[in-house]
Amino acid sequence: MFLQLTLSGLSQGAIYALIGLSLTVVYRATTIVNFGHGDFVMAGAFVVYVLVIYLGIPYFFAAILALIILFILGLGVSRGFIDPIKSGPHIGFAMMSISLGYVLRGVARALWGREVFPMPKVFDMEPIFWDDIVITGDVIFITGIVVIFLIVFFLIFYKTTIGTIIQAVYQSERGASLIGVNVQIFHQYMWGVGLAMGALGGILISPISLLHPDLGATFLIRGFAAMTLGGFGSLFGAVIGGLLLGVAEQNFGFYINSALIDITAYLVIVAVLVIKPAGLFGKRITVRV
Amino acid sequence: MISQKTVRLSFYIFLLLLLIIPFITNEYLLWMVNTMLVYTLVTLGFNILIGNLGQLVFANTAFFGIGAYTTAILMVYTGVPYFIGIIASALTGGLAGFLASVTALRGIRLYYLAIITLAFGELMRWVYLHGDKVTKGSDGLLMPHSSFLGIPLDSEVPKFFVFLLLTILVIKATSNLMKSKIGRAIVAIRENEATTASLGIPTANYIILAFVWSGAVVGIAGAMFAVLTERVLPESFGLTEVIVHFGMVLVGGTGSIIGSVIGAITLTALPEYFRQFPGLDELFFGIIIVVILLFLPKGLVSLLWYVSPAFKERYYKE
Repeated sequence: MFLQLTLSGLSQGAIYALIGLSLTVVYRATTIVNFGHGDFVMAGAFVVYVLVIYLGIPYFFAAILALIILFILGLGVSRGFIDPIKSGPHIGFAMMSISLGYVLRGVARALWGREVFPMPKVFDMEPIFWDDIVITGDVIFITGIVVIFLIVFFLIFYKTTIGTIIQAVYQSERGASLIGVNVQIFHQYMWGVGLAMGALGGILISPISLLHPDLGATFLIRGFAAMTLGGFGSLFGAVIGGLLLGVAEQNFGFYINSALIDITAYLVIVAVLVIKPAGLFGKRITVRV
Repeated sequence: MISQKTVRLSFYIFLLLLLIIPFITNEYLLWMVNTMLVYTLVTLGFNILIGNLGQLVFANTAFFGIGAYTTAILMVYTGVPYFIGIIASALTGGLAGFLASVTALRGIRLYYLAIITLAFGELMRWVYLHGDKVTKGSDGLLMPHSSFLGIPLDSEVPKFFVFLLLTILVIKATSNLMKSKIGRAIVAIRENEATTASLGIPTANYIILAFVWSGAVVGIAGAMFAVLTERVLPESFGLTEVIVHFGMVLVGGTGSIIGSVIGAITLTALPEYFRQFPGLDELFFGIIIVVILLFLPKGLVSLLWYVSPAFKERYYKE
């Protein structure tokens, strides 16, 4: 049973890892935590739904199109809403991201009411039985896509010129701008990438979790927990944190109490920040004077 | 130019005018006015941490819920008078504030603080939901008939007067506190914590004090909320609620007491109107805050500053 739980935990955790990673990408680039991220995750899933159901575009192309739309949305958010309040306090960023999320959720609810939609199944496959373990098509589909995505992401990050530029800006914005990197444009692109990655998480999970305007709220906290556990600001840490969280949720839920599934993420956040605020892979928090 | 004296006088006239509200409104409107009074205190307490101390503390629903449940549990199980319930709520709210301040004192700041305090609020909601034996879970606790110092609180009119009294008392106390040395120290910590500490000001004590005061104020608001809704439900203290509170602080004006009042009134009244259309309340809420952030970053209260600088609070320096 432990193996079965761990397996389904890993496929849940893959989504959390993706969302934690997408939050981290934006955070490392701009030092802004996107509190409205959950709603962008939801928006990604809704865009796919609209494209598939209303326009009849095949699922795969709809997903690609949705990622591009969310990327452009990210550019717009950064340029239109974050840049103008750059000189203000951090509280403004937090509220701005929350309220942009509210606008998206409001649009989704106004257009589709309070109903719940089933997303068309993409990956219909007979589950595999192996000993007493059942592997469903969804698990293979989600885990597979996330793994492929993560490999591509980290290859780009560590092996290409673009990745080197990103690393340079992460290390020192000033230094990067001195060698000719346009930091402002860079921030916009990172918002775009972050939102598109979050949307991918929404697109992958929506066939299982059903589609509703409040889809994102649960994932936002899971993403935070993944980030905190792995170490705030660590890309690799967010992935490991997400996977561990997914496994922990399933096992706690089964072996201790099923009510614990809902609050594992919160317990993880509190425990990590009280015991070891730097998380597993993060740098120690230092206060700059 | 309007002088400080005129502004002060107009405040008292405004307060007197408030007294005729019950005679010119119906039950539903008065219920909304009462809700506004509750949210005024919620925003006021939140604003101390967000605006004056300048920390992203999202534990407000935790304080609010703890306040409401304290009064409800005490009144249901021990039958104490409402007056005692309010005091108990202020105490437990303050205690919750103290607990939340422990995180801030461990050097947890900014988003770390935001996330851990969010988690605190949600964990409390889980406790209300799963502590069935005491809190009755998702059914909620039904409040018994209550009376405040002999006045039965069975309709909106007596509630209004009691709430108004409480609100004015708490606002006045907070205003005095913020004008004092303590309030100035709290604002100094917001501006630069290290410098403040280097001046020999015990920053840790003032951070704890700000948290405890905020918790107590919001706890009192919780006690009022329990009587207002007559049923205390876990859903009233969820994640979206803390965001509404945050919005009220921002729309009114961070760090401003008048701003807290304006924010609470605006964001209670307008979404209530839009509630009839699903989704529009959220859409409207999002848009109004985006507009405020882009064009009025000091909140609606800064419009008053154009009328007269006398409305600027003396302790709050930009």
